[in-house]
Amino acid sequence: MSGRLRDSDWFGPFLVTVLAVVTVTAFSPSFLSPFNVQILLLAISVNAMVAFSQMIIIAIGQMNLSVGAIGGLAAIAFGGMMEVWGLPWPLAAIVALCIGLLAGLANGVLVAMTGISAFIITLASLSIYKGINLGITEAQPFYAIPQAVKSIGNDTMLGPLPWLVLPCILVAVGLWYALERLSIGRAVLAVGGNAHAAELSGISVRRVTMIAHAVSGFLAALAGIMLVARLQIGQPTIGDDWLILSFAAPVIGGAVLSGGRISVAGTFFGVALVAIFTQVLVLFDIDPFLVQIVLGALILWAVGINRYREVRARRQLGVAAP
Amino acid sequence: MTATPLFVAEGITKSFPGVIALDEVRLSLEAGSIHALLGENGAGKSTLIKAMTGVHPLDSGRMLLDGIEYRPKVTREATSRGIGVVHQERNLVPRFSIAENIFLERLGGAPLRRVVHEKLIADAREWLDVLEIDADPSLPVERLSVARMQLVEIARALSLGSRLLLLDEPTASLTSHETDALFRILRRLRDDGTGLMFVSHKLEEVQEICDGVTVLRDGRNACESRALAGLGRQDIVRLMIGRSEIIPDWEARDRSDRETVLELENVSTPLGHKGVDLAVHAGEIVGLYGLVGAGRSELAKCILGKYPINEGRVSIRGEPVEITSVADAVRRHRIGYVSEDRKNEGLVLMHSVLDNVGAPIWRRLANRFGLLGDGTVRAHTLPFIEKLEVRTPSLAQSVGNLSGGNQQKVSVAKWLAAETAILIVDEPSVGIDIKTKAYLHELIRELSDGGIALILITSDMPEMIALADRIVVMNDYRVTGEIANTRQYDAMSEQIMALIQG
Repeated sequence: MSGRLRDSDWFGPFLVTVLAVVTVTAFSPSFLSPFNVQILLLAISVNAMVAFSQMIIIAIGQMNLSVGAIGGLAAIAFGGMMEVWGLPWPLAAIVALCIGLLAGLANGVLVAMTGISAFIITLASLSIYKGINLGITEAQPFYAIPQAVKSIGNDTMLGPLPWLVLPCILVAVGLWYALERLSIGRAVLAVGGNAHAAELSGISVRRVTMIAHAVSGFLAALAGIMLVARLQIGQPTIGDDWLILSFAAPVIGGAVLSGGRISVAGTFFGVALVAIFTQVLVLFDIDPFLVQIVLGALILWAVGINRYREVRARRQLGVAAP
Repeated sequence: MTATPLFVAEGITKSFPGVIALDEVRLSLEAGSIHALLGENGAGKSTLIKAMTGVHPLDSGRMLLDGIEYRPKVTREATSRGIGVVHQERNLVPRFSIAENIFLERLGGAPLRRVVHEKLIADAREWLDVLEIDADPSLPVERLSVARMQLVEIARALSLGSRLLLLDEPTASLTSHETDALFRILRRLRDDGTGLMFVSHKLEEVQEICDGVTVLRDGRNACESRALAGLGRQDIVRLMIGRSEIIPDWEARDRSDRETVLELENVSTPLGHKGVDLAVHAGEIVGLYGLVGAGRSELAKCILGKYPINEGRVSIRGEPVEITSVADAVRRHRIGYVSEDRKNEGLVLMHSVLDNVGAPIWRRLANRFGLLGDGTVRAHTLPFIEKLEVRTPSLAQSVGNLSGGNQQKVSVAKWLAAETAILIVDEPSVGIDIKTKAYLHELIRELSDGGIALILITSDMPEMIALADRIVVMNDYRVTGEIANTRQYDAMSEQIMALIQG
């Protein structure tokens, strides 16, 4: 059992997260102050949505470069509908989520129908979605965000727990359940693990591709909306810096880019680790640009561990590593 | 007249642009029997299987299942009518459990249905018991051996209620022990009333396990559903290739008095080779014979510097050498390797003939600024491409569009252009038709006459006896013996078999 725990994808990132929290707290007890925890959880909640949005595409063995562009488009749509049309915020949020879902679905339909790689399709749609964003906003933010939205984005519901943790937990549990226990989730992993076998077993690879991209778009839009609430402003630049994190967190969490292997918990702890490191740099007054370097090092560490496991497993089976 | 056959195909015709893949093919198969489907590569076996499983719709002809018209349009239709296939390539999801792989079909359909793993595992246990597989159904299949993965696929086909099971080269990557275990299970399935169709290139196995046989040649029936009893190996081969297998009437050669080009003494490797001795002389063809998994290709890759050598000595022309990398082997020692896996290791399929043949000599041909013109490469490769009669519309043609035989010629031309002194040829005639094969044999013989030291790895006994001057037999990563080739097929094959078992 302990061996299985050690070999599970989420355990490594979990251990490092705990270690990081303990070490940082020892040096700076204020790290665990309620305010700091709240800031940390806010960052984790939004970034987890970004990471999950990419994770679901990695699961089918593809990539979605347009995660940030979809998030940005949904964010300015959310802000714009409230400021320009005066829509009540729940309605605006639902429409923005639908826009994300449709943008993702468009990616999925194009990938499934043309057979062109998702990398190329989403590279193109990244440019298109970002272009629509800039066309609407002319690069100017929407400022008129209702008070209700602002408080959702910053207030706490219980102790240091911000409200934004709620959608994050719901999505994480929902994804975990779907991927482990629902036929669509298993079909997603089957397509990523061996698309040919899935096809021959009557699983429609096209349909699974379209659904996965739609879910990805939906989650990216959710991240965009949550970020508007947190920043209290409809920034057109939302999503511009999501790409590296969106791949880094799932990979730190044990995902294999060729598909079929992802971990919801691992991805979550990947996000947490990145957030903690970012905080630490601020806390100890280190240049925040170092975050990029730390992120890169984390990715290398994570893939190194995965590679080591793979080689060890092969050695146990008595076959040479390729 | 006996009861209705389980499956009947009549006048099956299927053509693709430019070729008639199946021409009026007939086949009839009884429940409770194992039927062999044989033929050379390209004879139409795979097309027939694809027609039976609904991958390819028929042009004309009809199929009957239990005497009822059967015309599948999609694979699912075949499955629901009780025809299951175990394909050559593994069709499993590596990280899924045995149980989930067996019941992979249940994941199609309604997307929000619950998957109850406990139930899958309980259901899977039943099928594992049927096939006598002693494994935990919750284990991911990536932890299983190839043989067991195959059994999982059979379990999947059976769980779908298959009464007719098509097995496409099921023993291709199994050891003889695993093959025996598989055959035991197949025989039991047969005795329980399942109809099995068995595609294999290993005639010994076919004779061991099958009851009836259908042979295809060039898309037509060379024989239709006849009993296997009374047919000898030579008879089957004659049906497959239209004549009996002939070992070319070449003289036996002894080249062991010439210069020793490559010598291994007491070599051990981290892959498991122990105390391997091997010498190859100039102009000599040394055959490495052994079953799949005996460590022959692996030994080739150690000689080539892909994997290190732990112990022992490697000498080239009497000089002890240490080959540290493949680049070192190719450039400094002029060792070439024609891989058995042309498509993945031997050639870059999407690149042109010229780029493939020229790749090993780019560095040598580049001028001092590292520049290299097509003209230079052409001048150094064209003679070899012409000599081997590679049939290609132009040198710019991508290799992927050439036939298997021509691809193999490109692989060989590549090493000739590199002025290879030691050439290792691994399973040269896999996927090549019989005429090209004969031509390729002449070519290999000619190369050795030109002074190249050749190591030939093949599992095809007639090919081995046709080509090798000396045959070194390997088993379990060791050399078990060495015989000079007298070119007497029966005597030689017996001696070789004795060495493998010894």
